[in-house]
Order: sequence, then C-alpha cells, then structure tokens
Amino acid sequence: MKPIPFLITAMILAMAGCSPNPGSTTGVPPCCRPALPSSRPLTDRSIYHLESVWTSDAGKTLPLSHFRGRTQVVALFFTHCEFACPILVNDLQRIEAALPAEAREKVDFLLVSIDPTRDTPKRLREFRAEKSLGLQHWTLLTGAEDDVRELAALLGVNYQRDARGQYAHSNLITVLGPDGEVVSQLKGLNQSIDELVRQIVTTHSQP
Amino acid sequence: MNSSLLRLVLVLWIGIHVVPQGSAAGTNTSRTIPGGIHRPVLRGPDDPREIAVPAFGLDALPVTNGDFLEFVRQQPRWRRSQVKRLFADENYLRHWQGDLDIGSTNAQVLGQPVTHVSWFAAKAYAAWRGGRLPTTTEWEYAASAGLRTAMLTNDPAYRRQIVTWYSTPSPASLPPVGLTPANFHGIHDLHGLVWEWTSDFNSALVTGDSRGDTGIDRQLFCGAGAMDGAARDDFPTYLRYGFRSSLKAAYTVHNLGFRVAYNLAPYTP
Repeated sequence: MKPIPFLITAMILAMAGCSPNPGSTTGVPPCCRPALPSSRPLTDRSIYHLESVWTSDAGKTLPLSHFRGRTQVVALFFTHCEFACPILVNDLQRIEAALPAEAREKVDFLLVSIDPTRDTPKRLREFRAEKSLGLQHWTLLTGAEDDVRELAALLGVNYQRDARGQYAHSNLITVLGPDGEVVSQLKGLNQSIDELVRQIVTTHSQP
Repeated sequence: MNSSLLRLVLVLWIGIHVVPQGSAAGTNTSRTIPGGIHRPVLRGPDDPREIAVPAFGLDALPVTNGDFLEFVRQQPRWRRSQVKRLFADENYLRHWQGDLDIGSTNAQVLGQPVTHVSWFAAKAYAAWRGGRLPTTTEWEYAASAGLRTAMLTNDPAYRRQIVTWYSTPSPASLPPVGLTPANFHGIHDLHGLVWEWTSDFNSALVTGDSRGDTGIDRQLFCGAGAMDGAARDDFPTYLRYGFRSSLKAAYTVHNLGFRVAYNLAPYTP
C-alpha cells in the first residue's frame, strides 16, 4: 500500500518541475542545475529583472534569474564576519529545519557576499564546508561591488565597511517567491521565524 | 518680499540663460576634484579619522529636467510609463506632464534640477553619460570645500549660510541649477538647492532620528554600526546622513536630484 502514494507524489513533483529526478540532482547545487522553464513574463516588481552576473562557490557564473521557479531565502553576509553573520546563517538553517518536508524540497537558500574582495569562490566553498550547508539547496554567491550595492539597495540592506575590514550591515532575511518578488522579510537576529515559515508554506500552496 | 524679489531675479535669469533649445545638456561641465584627505564627520568608532580620496571628476551642476528629458528620449525604458516599479516608485517624474512632456512652463522646468528620480534612474543616467554617481565620501569631500578655500571650516561665513539653507524648506518651485556660488572646486549647488543621490547612499547606518540614533536599532544593525560624531556642530552633515539613510533605492522625492561623477584616466607619464 505504502509505495503507491509515494510514487504518485513523486510523479506530481516531477511534473510540476519542482523536484526533478532525485537521482540526477543529488549533489548538484542550485547554481549548476539547468534553469527552470517559465512561460509567464516577470512582473514589474521582480528582482530577476537585474542583469548583473554573479559567481557561485562552484565557480559558475549566472544571473539571479537563474533561480527563477523556486523560492529563495536570501541573506547578504560575509565570511569574515565576527558579529552577526554566524547568527544570520544559523537563522537560515533554523528556517530550513522548520519547513515541512514537502515545502523544504521547493525552497533554496541564497547567501550573497558583500565582501567581494575576500569572498572568492574558493573562500565561499570553505565556508560552505565549515557551516555544513547542503549542496542540494544552498547557493553562495559573490559579485562585482557595484552589483552587490544594487542588490542590497533593492532588498533594503544597508552596509558599510569599517577600517578593520568588518562590515556593519542590516540583518535582513528576504524570501523571494518563484518569480523573484519579495514575499516576506525578517529584520533582526534571532527573531521568531514562525511567521516567515508560514509565509513560505503559503507561497507554495498557491498554484 | 525677499522671496518675490528672488523670484523676479530667477525669472530674469531663466529668460536670459535657459533659451529653450530642447535640452540644457552641454551647459554642464565636469571639474576635476583634486585628491586629498577627507575627515568624515560621521564615522564608526573603529573608522579612521582621515580617508584618502583619489582625484575624480564631478559635474559642476546637478542634472536638469532638460538633461533628463534627452536621456529618456534615447532610453525608453526609463520613461515614466515604461519604468519598472522595482526601479522607481509611482511618483517617478510625477512633475512632468507625460513621458516626453515636461509641462507648460517648459523653459523654466528645463533648467531646474531633475527630482522625483530614483537611485536606479540616476545610476542609469550617469552610466549613459559615461560616468557614475559619486560615492558618499566623494560627495561629502567636494561639499566640504569653502568658497575660496578647500576647507569649509576655514570659511565661517559660508558655513553659516549653508546652515541657513538647510533650515529653510524647499520652495514649491525649485530655482534653476547654477545660481548658488561655485565652491573652491568650481562646483555649484552642493548646498542650497536639492538633496543628491550618492552611489552608496545605503551605507549610512544612522536612522536619521536623533532620538533613534542614541540607541540605534541593535537588532537590525550589526554591532559595528554605531556612529558617533567627530564634530557635533556640523548639523547639515548630520541631516544629509540622516536623509540618505532614510531612503530606499526606488524612492523618488520632490527635492532629491543627483549629479554625475567620473573616474579620471590613470596618470601616464
């Protein structure tokens, strides 16, 4: 009896294009999978209008629109952070853990560095290993200074580098819906993630 | 009575200088701001007191409606009806009558600084002109000059005048660009006309509210973000930082414009 519902679920997921053949994507991070096809034009408020090109920790270059089709939980950070970023990354991991299994399959996590000089793809790879960020759902990106400034401006993140190479920055977690629109934002560290998780799940119950 | 006199002067000035040619572009020239040391008024506790600023180019005047009209003529995606909401809020260019129609008082509006433009639009314009927006440090450095000295602090009379400007509300109809005296570097209107976008306007971690700043939102901002003033009497600088930190990149404001900065070609002997 058990295998049949599972098969049906798997088929539905495969047809929806949300979880492509599990065997073929295991171990391939979101940056390096083919972009999902989409027929709808982007709305005026989609962040995927940005034309900037980014480099992932896997060394792949891509525009943000590559992530279209799946929900992205986004935070700006830098790997040499002494204050808030470890908590910020931990908050993202708490969100991942709190998602119901079926929603978790459709949600990716995107960490974008505000420190392009030091956060090379190699450094981002090391950070991924240090924090045990799963390959399947986590992307780490670095980009040109101007492009980081622009993305930060769009998300409402303020940041400034101080003389010791630390960045003062807003701690802000942004949820982007499948078409790149801001669905929800969480300000501050160690906040309750319940509302954010609820909104992510709601996003996915819509067609 | 003073204001009506000023208006008369403005009208005369406009009549003389802003001959409606369709665009005021070309009257604006870029000046070289020599490199030097900037001493920021607002800085973090661990920040240096002095920042070396390499030489850069800066337009003597803010961008006018006339200049911006030429830009949207050539770049349709920045026209009022076509701009994406992501890049400019619903008040973008609201003082214009239409996409390419800046209104009945054309001649007057052409020479006024363009306002109601978002950071994205300003950035796109600057790139179209072959330049960029000045950084906050560059802007503040250029604005820290007096009229006849590179240091505003050595020009107390001008400094007092600036404080007066900042305590006077913007007039309903903005004066044209270029009426305020050129500073030591030959730059007009850094004080006394409109606020201006900078490329990293979103670097200031002050809330703009003096009450808020005493206990900055520690939850939102990282611990390194606390700012304290190096010169507590520099009221206009606080206002500018506060204003910038209250902005979002898609915002358009009735008295917020911009000017273009340029990288200088590297020195080759």
